[in-house]
Amino acid sequence: MIKYFIHRAIQAIPVVFLIAVLSFGLMIQAPGGPQAQFNQNPHITQADIDKWLADWCLERNPDLLGTLREFGGWFGLWNCSGTGLMSEHGLPNFLPTFLGGGTNGIIHGDFGYSISTSRPVTSLILERLPGTLILMFTAFIVWVTIAIIAGIIAAVRRYSVFDQSLTLFSYIFYSLPTFWLGLNLIFVFGIALRWFPVQGIIDTRHSPAPWATPEYWAAFWANPLPQIADIARHLVLPVTTLVAVSIAGDSRFVRSAMLDVLGQDYIRTARAKGVPPRGVIFRHAFRNALLPVVTNIALEIAFLFSGAIVTETVFSWPGMGRLFIEGLNTRDYFLLMGIVFIASMLVVFFNLVADVVYGLVDPRVRYD
Amino acid sequence: MDTPGDRNQASIVVAQLPIGEAVSGPGDIEVALESLNQWQLAWRRFRRHKLAMVGLVIFSAMILLAIFGPIVNPFDPLKIPGAIKPGGDPPSAAHWFGTDDTGRDVFTMVMNGARISVAVGGLSMMIAGFVGVIVGALAGYVGGWADNLLMRVVDVFFAVPFLFVILVAARFFGQGEVIPLILIFGLLSWPLIARLVRAMFLSLREQEFVQAATAAGVSDLRIAFRHILPNTLGPVIVSMTLIMASNIVLEAFVSFLNFGIRQDQTSWGNALSNAQNSLILGNWWWAFFPGMAIALTVIAINFIGDGLRDALDPHSRA
Repeated sequence: MIKYFIHRAIQAIPVVFLIAVLSFGLMIQAPGGPQAQFNQNPHITQADIDKWLADWCLERNPDLLGTLREFGGWFGLWNCSGTGLMSEHGLPNFLPTFLGGGTNGIIHGDFGYSISTSRPVTSLILERLPGTLILMFTAFIVWVTIAIIAGIIAAVRRYSVFDQSLTLFSYIFYSLPTFWLGLNLIFVFGIALRWFPVQGIIDTRHSPAPWATPEYWAAFWANPLPQIADIARHLVLPVTTLVAVSIAGDSRFVRSAMLDVLGQDYIRTARAKGVPPRGVIFRHAFRNALLPVVTNIALEIAFLFSGAIVTETVFSWPGMGRLFIEGLNTRDYFLLMGIVFIASMLVVFFNLVADVVYGLVDPRVRYD
Repeated sequence: MDTPGDRNQASIVVAQLPIGEAVSGPGDIEVALESLNQWQLAWRRFRRHKLAMVGLVIFSAMILLAIFGPIVNPFDPLKIPGAIKPGGDPPSAAHWFGTDDTGRDVFTMVMNGARISVAVGGLSMMIAGFVGVIVGALAGYVGGWADNLLMRVVDVFFAVPFLFVILVAARFFGQGEVIPLILIFGLLSWPLIARLVRAMFLSLREQEFVQAATAAGVSDLRIAFRHILPNTLGPVIVSMTLIMASNIVLEAFVSFLNFGIRQDQTSWGNALSNAQNSLILGNWWWAFFPGMAIALTVIAINFIGDGLRDALDPHSRA
């Protein structure tokens, strides 16, 4: 098991490497260039700019040799800053600059500085991580629970009113643009009915301190209940927006997986043996229908990230997705790169976890 | 056309003739024989799929509206008619879908927006289909190192959250122009099709008809594109409809964030982009109707895709 996990992690390395190259190359090659953004930041001097450009292999040279040098540096063929074979962190300098070569790099947990705020990218992201994790974790639980329960009921009571309304619901919701659904929910439940707040993660008028500051967490742990209630109220609309489309697709998926299993001979055998209906459904049928469902859910985790960008933008949610949009607006290359890289790593990691979970629910899978 | 996929299938269908004409005498029933090729059979199956026909009607109506609507319509989608009134006017006889906060007609926005939105969806779908088929065919037919290399590239596409890359590309390379954006959406959505085509090629290239073609001395290129490829077209067309639907939604979201089509051109996403600020003033129509147009189009395309799935499957008996 552990051996398998390590094997898969090693397999993921070239993928991660390519992600880094792509996300970096894409942004650096874009028209405009990072220098333009550096110049707008009063905290950065020309000397800093020259040093960074050299370290990051970004000195734009019009001739062929210069371009080759630039690309070679990104791919780790040589070290642009020329500080020898080992960096000051004791890691090899022949790695691509953005991965760990040069003086700083992602391998050292250092994503560089945000161009527009001059703050370390790592701390900006860490500040926004709790918001995204709260939103995604809640959405994940709600999504999986409702999709599975609704799918099972629809399969067991096939062609009932519930089943048919679920079909109708999923046909409609599966096609809705997520952000537009969010706008409509804001209007109906936030503005017309005034049931739920429509912006942010906490109520700034009543909260003890601004979100994600040390003071806030101190107040949170001193008296968590009112803070949790506040966050929960703010979660209702974003989570509904985020899960509606996924539930529409997945409840159908669970339903058809259940129907496949319910038609099998061993289900008839179990019924004939006198297993109570509940036992047939959960212990015999659902246990087997779970396998394709787990695979499908694992594939959709990446979509949850995309959904988080959409939802966080519409609901002004202080998370990584919104940070990403802010970074796009200010052309903050290193911030964007850090977010793309971390999000991709999380997706790779969750897929690995899904593989392991798959082994847990399916005893036939052997890791060796 | 001499492709195996296009060859007429022997099929016998009882024509639905009025009784008086079909029956020439008592006890002597005349049966009209009709030979249908594969596409005629597919169309017959497609017509029986009720939801798909509903989808086709909605989609055609949307296309007609996009083509002819702006010609007949008296309003200009970009010209601001008078004083700016926060919140705009609710739907009325003059403005069917109301107006935005600058007094522009929302119905006009929906009609003009359909042109760019459907064009972006349709053209990017074709690019994705073209690249996906070429890459998938190469990986599946050549195999070996080509397969390995291409599939690692596809893996990367699946590992990176799609929307992040789309947004970065649209913001930095799109520059608000329609054609770069179409290229971006198309060139980023082919991996799905490549994976599908590769999987089908892997199983099809082991089949007897490929061996027969090889034995007859047919060139590799011809086997791949004339013999195997037509057999993959059904699933490819179905997933292309899905890509079109999702790219229409993507374009809307990217433009909603102002990273997509320039503001002086109309797309459904642009129409929505500033609508959120007016919600608080009670203006629901500005956000509702363009979004409804997106939703209807996407539902229609998904229905058509459903119908095509059944119609293009030679094993389905409808």
